Amino acid sequence: MKTPTITAAALLAAVTTGRCEQLVVNSYGGPYEAIIMERIIKPFEDKTGISVVYDPVGSASQDYAKIKATNGRPGFDVVVMTASQSLDGCKDGLLEKFTPASVPNLEKLSPAIKRIAGECGAVHELQYMSLLWRTDKLKIAPNSWTVLFDSELKGKIILPTFQNIMAANLMQVLSVKNGGDLLNNVDPGFKAMAQLAKQSVGFEQSSAVMETYVRDGQVWAMPFWNGRAQLLVDSGMPVDYIKPIEGTIPLVATLNVPAGATNKAAALKFVNFFLEKSSQEAWVTGYKVGSARSDIDVPDAVRAKQITTEEDLNKLLLPDLSITAAKLPEWGDRWEREVVHAAN
Amino acid sequence: MTIVATDSPAAPARRAFTLRGYVPLFPPFAVLLLFFAVPIGMMIGISVQDPKTSQFSMASYQRFLTDGLIIAGLFRTILMSGLVAICVTVMAYPVAYFLARSTSRWRAVVFALAIAPELAGVVLRTYGWLIILEDRGFVNDALIWLGFVSSPLPLAKNLFGVVVGLTHVVLPFGILALLTSIQGIDPNIEKAAQILGASRLSVIRHILLPLSIPGIVSSLLISFTMAASAYATPALLGGARFKVLATMIFEQIMFYINWPMAAVMAIVLLVLMLAITFAGGRVETRLHKKLNI
Repeated sequence: MKTPTITAAALLAAVTTGRCEQLVVNSYGGPYEAIIMERIIKPFEDKTGISVVYDPVGSASQDYAKIKATNGRPGFDVVVMTASQSLDGCKDGLLEKFTPASVPNLEKLSPAIKRIAGECGAVHELQYMSLLWRTDKLKIAPNSWTVLFDSELKGKIILPTFQNIMAANLMQVLSVKNGGDLLNNVDPGFKAMAQLAKQSVGFEQSSAVMETYVRDGQVWAMPFWNGRAQLLVDSGMPVDYIKPIEGTIPLVATLNVPAGATNKAAALKFVNFFLEKSSQEAWVTGYKVGSARSDIDVPDAVRAKQITTEEDLNKLLLPDLSITAAKLPEWGDRWEREVVHAAN
Repeated sequence: MTIVATDSPAAPARRAFTLRGYVPLFPPFAVLLLFFAVPIGMMIGISVQDPKTSQFSMASYQRFLTDGLIIAGLFRTILMSGLVAICVTVMAYPVAYFLARSTSRWRAVVFALAIAPELAGVVLRTYGWLIILEDRGFVNDALIWLGFVSSPLPLAKNLFGVVVGLTHVVLPFGILALLTSIQGIDPNIEKAAQILGASRLSVIRHILLPLSIPGIVSSLLISFTMAASAYATPALLGGARFKVLATMIFEQIMFYINWPMAAVMAIVLLVLMLAITFAGGRVETRLHKKLNI
């Protein structure tokens, strides 16, 4: 039903505004929607005259499933997903390949980050897995992932389920910390996670639900994407977040254009517009996330918490996402057997 | 002597086949074909593809049969659905009986209350149960406050929580299935038995229960199939430690992007439900024969 509804809405918007060119952008709802409308979509419409229909329904994985099920014709022209989905969709020919000619601003992105997302993903945002903690509960500000293992935090942490990619990322980070690596020798990571499972009150898939445990004080520390963590800080909650000293793995968010998008030319314009310096500055300061462009000018307070410089980018742990995706089924089984089984 | 040959009564002439009589069947047939048979066929096709190369492969079936975690998920599905079916039928029966026989003005109120859960969405109701059953939920808080327990009881994120949540979701359907069946039993039979000296218990045991077997079987089957195919309630109230086939199918599609494996799981779930429905029908027929009704 979504596709005809969106198409009808798009047509109505085009008729009522008298504009010919239009674009359907699929992304998220909530605070994200308000910020993207104000910081990106409105300026894009003003600059290009293209009318944007915003579709906030569905998570990135649901959107990708839709692209796959419709063989690249999901009813939207631009979608926000992650680098893993970009690689998978590109491999299957479901997503449009970007070139410097079609999206000139791609050249301005960090080559390492650009490579991660492949030819079909335009990295418009970087978050990282931060350590979120309650400032009113922990006496000393943590600086390392090891705080999660403290006896003081027994029954005061929560872990993501394996279906939240943070679970695999935390295991990879702990693997590196304990002498393993990000992909091939992850035994130390699983061993550490099994230990951590005994500390945990449980597992939750949704970041929104994990957040409720912190809000009501049941959980004092947990891994959390820093964009959401910053929203919690901004809401006035007694929380803060850090980039632990052992390093962390980023969440590479991408703009993608389905191969069968109806308004491909407008879609490519939108992708390029989102990657412009001014747009990236607006987005980083608005949604409080990082950027793959290191030439942006943002306030020091923002820079201190976000990935915005070449130095920040170099400190990230960057596993090959194709190999990670290929290993997920095997790791998922291990997670059930070794980590979930070890939980109290 | 004259023998008069008489023609046997003329057999009714066979009516010529006309397409017109079947016309009303076309729309439902087309809908079923388009929205049931075709997707099922596609699903079977996907299930025999290799997840990486999309070539023909039975690897996903092989994995299903050999992977301990998936087999455990199948058994959890059967256990959970069986328990829900029993709980729903046992709880629905008295309510359905009251609704079928009562002439009280409260009948309408009870009927409305029985159907009321369907007015709210499944997710909303499940979150309601989560708030009631979780470690810091209403029940545990009350038990701790009253001093009955010192630490929270594990009421959610396990089989218990899922069975409670699903029983609530499915109960109205069980009530309706039983209500139709009990309404079909002539109340004079019960009265006659009581006039002839049968106790209330004997009436229930020898008359009511045997005659309402079709309703009981329907309630069990509806409850089982609805529970086995439910996603939201097991996902929210079962958590990471209680995975059933429906939640595993979602994971394979959304997270692992392994559609062949998801298709195999869905086919097994479908076969399980068809087998249970078939077995239910056979049991009903046998019971009818055994009880001579």
